[in-house]
Amino acid sequence: MKKKIGVYICHCGGNISDYVDVEKVYAEVRNEKGVALAKITMFACADANQKEMEADIPEKDLDGVVVASCSPQLHLTTFRAVVERAGLNKYDYVHANIREQGSWAHSDNKSGATENAIHVVKAAIAKVRNAESLEPIKISSVKAVAVIGAGVSGMRSAIALAKAGCKVYIIERDHFVGGRVAQWENLFSTNETGEEIIKRLYNDTINNDNITLYTGAQVLSQSGNIGSYRLKVQINPGFVRNSVYSYEMDEAISVCPIKIPDLFNFGFTQRKAIYRNHSGQLPIMAVIDDENCTRCGDCEKVCKDIDFSQQKKEINIEVGSVLVASGFDTYTPKNNEFGYCVIDNVITLPQLKRLVAMSDRHLEYKGNRIKNIAYIYCVGSRQLDGENKYCSRYCCTAAIHTATEIRRKYKEINNYHFTRGVRTYGKQEIYYSEALKMGDVFMQSFDNELPEVLQKGNKTFVKIKDILTEQKELKLQADLVVLVTSMVPRDGISVNDLFKLPKGRDGFLKEIHLKLRPVETVIDGITIAGCCQGPMNLTESVNSALSAATKSYSYVSKGELELEPIIAKVDKEACTWCDACFKACPFDAIIKVEEGFKVFARVSDSICKGCGMCLPVCPKDAIELNSYTNREIEEMIDMLASD
Amino acid sequence: MNEFGRKQAKILVFSTEKISDPAIDMAGLLKQYYPAGVYVISLPCSSAVKPRWILHAYEKGFDGVFIAADGSDCPHDESCTEKTGRIVMQTHEKMKEMNLDPARLRMAAICSVCSEAFVKQMKSFNDYLGNES
Amino acid sequence: MGKVTYDAIVVGGGIAGCEAALNIANNDFNVLLIEKDLSVGGKMILLSKVFPTLDCSACITTPKISEMARHPNITIFTGSELQKVSKYGDNLFEVSIVKNPRYVNIEDCTGCQLCEQACPVTVPDQYQLDMVGRKAAYIPFSIANPRVAAIDIDNCTLCGACEKVCPTKCIDFTQEKEEWIIHVKTVILATGFNLFNPEMIPRYGFGLYKNVVTSMQMERQLAPTRPFHTVLRPGDGKVPDRIAYILCTGSRDASVGNTMCSQICCMYSIKQAQLLMGALPMADVTIYYIDIRAFGKGFNEFYEQALGMGVNFVKGKIGKISEKKNGDLVLRYEDVCSGKLQEAEHDMVVLSVGVVANQDAQKYFTDLTLKKDRHHFVQQVDPLLNPSKTSIEGVFVAGSVSGPMDIPDSILSAGAASVEAINHIIQFS
Repeated sequence: MKKKIGVYICHCGGNISDYVDVEKVYAEVRNEKGVALAKITMFACADANQKEMEADIPEKDLDGVVVASCSPQLHLTTFRAVVERAGLNKYDYVHANIREQGSWAHSDNKSGATENAIHVVKAAIAKVRNAESLEPIKISSVKAVAVIGAGVSGMRSAIALAKAGCKVYIIERDHFVGGRVAQWENLFSTNETGEEIIKRLYNDTINNDNITLYTGAQVLSQSGNIGSYRLKVQINPGFVRNSVYSYEMDEAISVCPIKIPDLFNFGFTQRKAIYRNHSGQLPIMAVIDDENCTRCGDCEKVCKDIDFSQQKKEINIEVGSVLVASGFDTYTPKNNEFGYCVIDNVITLPQLKRLVAMSDRHLEYKGNRIKNIAYIYCVGSRQLDGENKYCSRYCCTAAIHTATEIRRKYKEINNYHFTRGVRTYGKQEIYYSEALKMGDVFMQSFDNELPEVLQKGNKTFVKIKDILTEQKELKLQADLVVLVTSMVPRDGISVNDLFKLPKGRDGFLKEIHLKLRPVETVIDGITIAGCCQGPMNLTESVNSALSAATKSYSYVSKGELELEPIIAKVDKEACTWCDACFKACPFDAIIKVEEGFKVFARVSDSICKGCGMCLPVCPKDAIELNSYTNREIEEMIDMLASD
Repeated sequence: MNEFGRKQAKILVFSTEKISDPAIDMAGLLKQYYPAGVYVISLPCSSAVKPRWILHAYEKGFDGVFIAADGSDCPHDESCTEKTGRIVMQTHEKMKEMNLDPARLRMAAICSVCSEAFVKQMKSFNDYLGNES
Repeated sequence: MGKVTYDAIVVGGGIAGCEAALNIANNDFNVLLIEKDLSVGGKMILLSKVFPTLDCSACITTPKISEMARHPNITIFTGSELQKVSKYGDNLFEVSIVKNPRYVNIEDCTGCQLCEQACPVTVPDQYQLDMVGRKAAYIPFSIANPRVAAIDIDNCTLCGACEKVCPTKCIDFTQEKEEWIIHVKTVILATGFNLFNPEMIPRYGFGLYKNVVTSMQMERQLAPTRPFHTVLRPGDGKVPDRIAYILCTGSRDASVGNTMCSQICCMYSIKQAQLLMGALPMADVTIYYIDIRAFGKGFNEFYEQALGMGVNFVKGKIGKISEKKNGDLVLRYEDVCSGKLQEAEHDMVVLSVGVVANQDAQKYFTDLTLKKDRHHFVQQVDPLLNPSKTSIEGVFVAGSVSGPMDIPDSILSAGAASVEAINHIIQFS
């Protein structure tokens, strides 16, 4: 039982004190049982106050500390470190959230907010009074990282980790690496092609002994914790023996009777059930798509490298951290959204990029030569009615860059941009001014009055009420209408579900805090990189990938990690072994122990994750969770309930 | 009593550190106000709530207890939804035995971005409890 | 002279430098961080709240810098300037540094502020953007790190009043410049950016009309460590109620030599508008813009939130500002939506000044060539795959030294520079 508690109440520079009467809170709690010192501070987290706390602890011989400030998500670890530096145990510290769940939640009710804060601080004092000092559990950390996805972000972070001396396993669902960037030609801002970029990364990947690349692979299950995650990975065969580029293989592909839309070209072309990598993808080889192959055997007859005896393999890997770089999808417009799927010559920007990549002397679509292209911006972004409220960040520049590249390649083309305000932020502004100089026409619609795509006879028109020309209604005949589609979260990523990675309001994976911990997730040891976190351009993705590599590296670089000792413990005397806790535990952390006539449950320290699922099922109430004991919780309730 | 003379209910919320706490924090961040009689105790997981804690809260004067459950988002195990449900069911039974209105214990899944849902729950629970007493 | 070799030197103690130093030090490498100012924290520590979450900026910066200040693997030199970086052998850099005298012993000063009270000299406070005064013996600002006094020797009259009152006798007028030569394996440049000087656009009247301020001055007025207790217009101390923001001041403007978009001004202006509506509920806030660039995670939602709160957005370019006798300002602008020239009266105008390159970094390299881009930022020579790489092997960039960035982007850029620097250190160890 702690008897000398220090309590610090933070103004948060007005964030708290504008709504909570901090002086009143101070007056109410300073005489609470066990409180030896109470103080008000402008910024509890500022260095000066941290130093003051460090001095107060030995001077006043404090044995417990409470800071009432912002959410523990922000500063619990900050203040735990303060008390540790002053010689206390970090569990001698309890955090009271009077900002997110106090002043901000009740800014409409100042007296209520103050009342609330008083009770919350008193409860925190009650908790620290009963808190026990706990020592961290030390575990070893495997110096290896699993990278999910072999797009640019995945491969780039893998290379950085491997160079720093980590073993890296890249797990890629597709049979080829390259992700979305493989589909693109010239990239801003260097005009390197997607193919060149992927080649550089692929060569660095396969030439590094620390990296093992698994393509056609997916994670089936996971167990373990930070420091030691065990992944079961399934590797699907390609049913082709060497990576070969032979006449026979060409034959094999041509005799295959199965034709399906080729998603790499967004369905513009078809491919066979046996197919090669596209330029941009690597490695150079052919594979058979198990899902669509009927095993007719025609290919086998003409090519000796076909091997249907190849089996699915399952391998087990152990890593200290997992870096998720699972990428994005492009938004598919709804049926008849700006005429998509209904009007013949309406396509998306990613489709246009493939169309340009596949075109030669003229840009043609369905046999017609294209002269006027209309680009409609923000399709699937900034929706007033739909779910995607966010701006996709990369598309304005991507559309303008693509449009100017097209004009350089095909002089006869005119570009008309139907925007909602161009967002070529930063240095990308240069692309916008270049496009204007080249004669591209930009119009802007009101957010609630979007352009319309109409078909009259065999002609397609785009109609807009244009802000930039005094709201005149303009109508343009377009040979091709390009919908500048947004980035959306990718579906069906097994690791997202296996690790239950949280998502944000926009559906993308969520970081802990945009500024404090931008590439970490609430699941310890799992980092996120690139566009699985939200729309980004290439440079931004790589920055994020390398940041994630930095964090994942720091989890594994030392070979050892400390875990929180928040684990369950069984009162051996009270336990009569009924197996209820054994059944409730999702981690198999409960062990049956027999000592003479006594049979009871014991918790395995390194396996227990401290979820507490075993607590309520015990008929004898013989299990408690460190830091959440009956005494701590019930005394908190007493304080919160008090008048 | 608030300025309209109606009693402000006292509600104890059992939340979870990784899932519902961020949502409750976000409600504050977005200034989606909810009644100031709401108090939060956070736990690692909603299936760790002991019925005795809930009953203790009524005994000490709380009008209502709300479990902001992890639901299918639980980082520990899928069985969380079912387990938390069972805790609520068992406690409801005990409340009936003790002549407590079982509607004073509510549960709903609050995901990490369910700030609006949380606020709605608190307002409607507060209205219910305010009218009851 | 203490330790003279480090694994890495980080130049600049803003949020990017701080993040990079922590990342590298957390993996057991030694880092020297040098900062030319008296406190680390850069521009971010002076901000009010930050978009799009409205977290208070100090709450994010101060824990990071205090973690850095306490880190056993990090040494910090404040008030120090880099003179020169050259190659030393094949794998090292030789760095010369001048540590400017503070005239106060950092270790002994308790930050009690008695010297401040005793000092008779008052000069404009640069940390409050000259809106209020400070003494010649002063603590830079209340959340500075280190939070200790310094003597502004250019303005000091050497009266000795501070020395007399100092309880720890830590004031020392005999301090002189110290020169340090240090060897490092890698250099991280995190020298940040400069704000555009709006005096370059005379038609806005900055410096001439008292109630035309910069966005950084407004930022300070809204910060928790603000100079006044409320928002005041500088001309007469009146609380303003018709505030105008002029976006793209010094950005997207060939006439001032900057055609680039500054990337942060739309969002910080929208943020300030939201804070102003909270601080002055009766005030009207109007934002004059060309395009609203709310592109990042949560930004567009934040913009929508401002629209919902009633911030008035006008798409239009400002031609000229003129001042009325009572200090109010008349804005002449082209209203794009109607195509007509309009006039509007406001009682305070905030210029949303843009980002320009801080070209200090180029000066350090005389034997080696540090390339710059067309906007005078340090050039990223492989922006797609190695964004922190510069034209000099082993020298990396973190944050806005390579171009305009918001805080999350700066932090990610620093994270990227960290692993590149770690890879470089390991490769040459």
